[in-house]
Amino acid sequence: MTVFLRAGGQLRAMIKPDVDHYTRKVEIEGEKTIGEILEHISLNPAFVALVHVDGVMKDLSYKPADGQTITLQPPVSGG
Amino acid sequence: MALSKREIERYQRQLMVDGWDQERLQRARVLVVGVGGLGGVSATYLAEAGVGYLRICDSDKVELSNLNRQILYTDADIGRPKAILAAKRLSAQNPEIEIDAVLDTLTETNAGELASGCDLIIDGLDSHSDRLKLNKASFDLNIPYVYGAVNEWLGQLSFFNPPKTACLACLMPGELRNLGSTPVFGALAAAVGSLQATLALRYLMTGEIPAANALLIFRADTIVFEKVTFERRPGCGVCGEAAPSGPRR
Repeated sequence: MTVFLRAGGQLRAMIKPDVDHYTRKVEIEGEKTIGEILEHISLNPAFVALVHVDGVMKDLSYKPADGQTITLQPPVSGG
Repeated sequence: MALSKREIERYQRQLMVDGWDQERLQRARVLVVGVGGLGGVSATYLAEAGVGYLRICDSDKVELSNLNRQILYTDADIGRPKAILAAKRLSAQNPEIEIDAVLDTLTETNAGELASGCDLIIDGLDSHSDRLKLNKASFDLNIPYVYGAVNEWLGQLSFFNPPKTACLACLMPGELRNLGSTPVFGALAAAVGSLQATLALRYLMTGEIPAANALLIFRADTIVFEKVTFERRPGCGVCGEAAPSGPRR
């Protein structure tokens, strides 16, 4: 199964984008939670403030479908 | 409270806006916490629009590194207290409104006192832990809270007023793990501060909650706005079943 991880801000470089400037393609076997996918790419989930898929907020237990794009939001706290 | 001849002339162009209610704005009382990159802009537009009372709180003094984004201050202001300077500048922009400057540091203890008597809270802060203090005061006093934050090319904002909406702690309950110093530039902070002021004005004049249960994300590098929806969290430690005071229904 293929999913796409997309990230902006300081998280962008940490996902090591390979599709475009913001997106990484990840191949996984079977259904996996977002938490497991982050572990698969060795990304510490503590650096991820929010996760959303198709305009809806999700948590790390969400299991994305084949082809879905998961957006990872870094901590946004400046002002 | 009828508008004076001078006020009618001052607000002439916005009085033409569909649904605009200047007299309701004149009666409104707003707390702005933090008058930096976000709060300096939102406070400016609330003052110019004629919000009757602004309480602006900031314990910081102006630093050189603020001047890439904090439009209320100049080089000559370095070392001087932001809240006092901001009140002076905003009063000069609109002498028809009342402004109080508070130089206190926001704490869990004084957050409620700062917000007391206000109709709305605007977040101009630069730390998530301080935002959670403001969120708690917002819930305790049932005062809506306009959230905004920026980081690098990302801006985000929302409007919280439980139980009509979720609260900030439903969305991000704990401290955020920052990835080093927060990169911020002025144009994006101003865009988010201006949108916060827009949400605030809309609410103050209509009582309608704009963008309930939605986080508005502005990706400034690609000029894309995203609206991400979320739900109230029953286990929220501020507004949910798990809260010490229980949920407000």
